[in-house]
Amino acid sequence: MHINPTTKMSDLVQSDFELLAVLQRLKIPFGFKEKSIKTVCQEQKIDLNFFLNLARWYHERDFFPGETLMNHPVKWLVKYLRSTHSCYVEYHIPRIEDEIVRMESLDQSGGHNMQLMLKFFREYISEFTTHIQLEEEKIFPYILSLEENLEKEKPDAEFLKTARGYTIKDFLKEHSDIEEKLVDLRNILLKYLAPPSDNCLFTNVLIEIFRLGNDLNDHTILEESVLIPQVIKLEEAFHKKFTLQ
Amino acid sequence: MAKVLIAETSYLIRKGLVGLLEQTEGVTELKAAGHPDTIVLTIKEFSPDILLLNSAIQLPISHHGLTSLLHSKATIIYIINTPLPEDSPLHQISVFDTKNKLTEKISHHLKQYETNEEKEEAEDLTPREKLILKHVALGFTNKEIATKLFISTHTVISHRKNITRKLDIKTVSGLTVYSLINGIIKMEDIQ
Repeated sequence: MHINPTTKMSDLVQSDFELLAVLQRLKIPFGFKEKSIKTVCQEQKIDLNFFLNLARWYHERDFFPGETLMNHPVKWLVKYLRSTHSCYVEYHIPRIEDEIVRMESLDQSGGHNMQLMLKFFREYISEFTTHIQLEEEKIFPYILSLEENLEKEKPDAEFLKTARGYTIKDFLKEHSDIEEKLVDLRNILLKYLAPPSDNCLFTNVLIEIFRLGNDLNDHTILEESVLIPQVIKLEEAFHKKFTLQ
Repeated sequence: MAKVLIAETSYLIRKGLVGLLEQTEGVTELKAAGHPDTIVLTIKEFSPDILLLNSAIQLPISHHGLTSLLHSKATIIYIINTPLPEDSPLHQISVFDTKNKLTEKISHHLKQYETNEEKEEAEDLTPREKLILKHVALGFTNKEIATKLFISTHTVISHRKNITRKLDIKTVSGLTVYSLINGIIKMEDIQ
């Protein structure tokens, strides 16, 4: 299906329910009635093209709208990425953790394999949380002030100081790979562990890990191919504008 | 059995190649990308065995950078936007090639992975690799392992690469879990 401004929002979801994730992260409420994408976006004060670009990418998977997404204010993307983070931290990760806990309680093999998986996953959670905290507490606020200050006649003295000593490129060095461990977990479960008594549960854990992995992949693409190049451009503009102050 | 990535900007050609490869035996996983940045990211994440790359694409990395992203047994087949002579090399395909020609060339490369794969199937960890794995799982660094086993750090690294390739596990904690499950180390060893 080709996604148009006049496409009904409910038709969009019916044709590809994975797009529900995008709606949720943009905080679009349900109850669409017969409203079009355009109307819903207007009501929710979401830029139509920003929505279309994201939705088309998730749906068609055939092109990556990197350049186009970069033309929107960076705060929208930050807002989107933030919602994605809370989705992971508040929902997906605890859910997988709970399921592994359940698997462990059902495991009657007498071995410690499920206990090991749980320990491994909890290590992952702590790595993941550190990664997200860095973005939430340090990087996103920096990006938002950068965009804000660029608009001003004169930047805040405090921010100017930060901006002269920091660039988003520093962040790239710290940007650790959060997918590797998850891929390992998946491979161990898939290749080296016999499922414990409850098979449905085991399969479901795997499905959720695959889903989370794919989603994290998209998340990384948005960060590394859109957000960071866009911030680098903003930084250049900032230093050009305020070079003499 | 090979993972194939099609890196092609043209929508029509990309779709055409996807259609062709979906029908080709020996392709286990297939991905396609059009934007240079996405291509680089996909290479990193997907680690294809065969990369079909349009020679006109300007990647944001150098040729050397590209080869270092690919694993050592990976093949690059270039997609050329002009007709090729009859005796063109096997690692070049042209957008003007017939279906037969394309299948012939691509299958030739796929065959190499078939034989490799059969050999690898019987390939368990060697005793030496198990020993290295044991030390990795116990938390020793490459340097410490080298000293303990009287080998060079370089040798340790090359063993570790093979272990990761065979087991499909990259992180140290993943390798530790594997070792515990398979009795290579015991719970007491790491407590």
